Amino acid sequence: MAKLDGKKLLACCANGAGSSLLMENAIKKVMTRNNIKPAAISHCAVSEGKSAAANYDVVLCAKPFAKTFDGIDTSKTALITLKNVMSDKEIETALKDAGLLD
Amino acid sequence: MSTVLQDIVEKKHYKFIDGAGLTWQEAVKISTESLIADGSVSADFYKQIVACIEKYGPYMVFEHNVAMPHTTENADGVYKTGIGFMVCKSLIDFGKDEDGEEKKANLFFTLCSANPAEHMNNIQQLASIFQNEPLLDALVEAKTPEDILKAEKDFPCEDD
Repeated sequence: MAKLDGKKLLACCANGAGSSLLMENAIKKVMTRNNIKPAAISHCAVSEGKSAAANYDVVLCAKPFAKTFDGIDTSKTALITLKNVMSDKEIETALKDAGLLD
Repeated sequence: MSTVLQDIVEKKHYKFIDGAGLTWQEAVKISTESLIADGSVSADFYKQIVACIEKYGPYMVFEHNVAMPHTTENADGVYKTGIGFMVCKSLIDFGKDEDGEEKKANLFFTLCSANPAEHMNNIQQLASIFQNEPLLDALVEAKTPEDILKAEKDFPCEDD
């Protein structure tokens, strides 16, 4: 079973309406390509993201928003930061680097 | 169903400008003019986009000089869902990002969203467009709405 099967992923951007949707789209591509079935892939604004983070296994955001997540429990929630939010290749690599994808 | 580029042409949500000497704030404002024209957004909607970029930096400027200025779903002053397309002859300087990399744009896809489902459909299509380099190269040369349609016909996005 893949590590991310049944896990919950959250994509965050400033408003939860632009880049986070691009990210969600790219995450879905990575999941399909690797035959992974996460329990949920959601998106929201960073303002909601920090409190929501605890309910997710992985939070993904663009680099400028990384500091918004200072203080989240990284033993429970992995934080992945991206340079190019719509790059499924970058997401795939980042998940592999984080040990979340084989 | 029409594609986002067909929709842009149909709704006259396009703008072709020279752009020389414009600040990014001015360029963002001009990119919303076609959306203002048919009542998709209010005349001062652009101020929210400018405020967001001022707060977080030019993270909405992507590779290949593509900018996707936007705010949030159901933002104040947004009445319809759409995309304001703009081509600038000159590159608009958005300053440096968090890594000190210069961000510039000459292709603008300015978003407004009043309907999440339509908006998600727009974003999915834009994601394909943003990764279709030959199409982006053709769009940046566009000077008329016909050029937009021709670019799409010549360099179609693959269906996912």
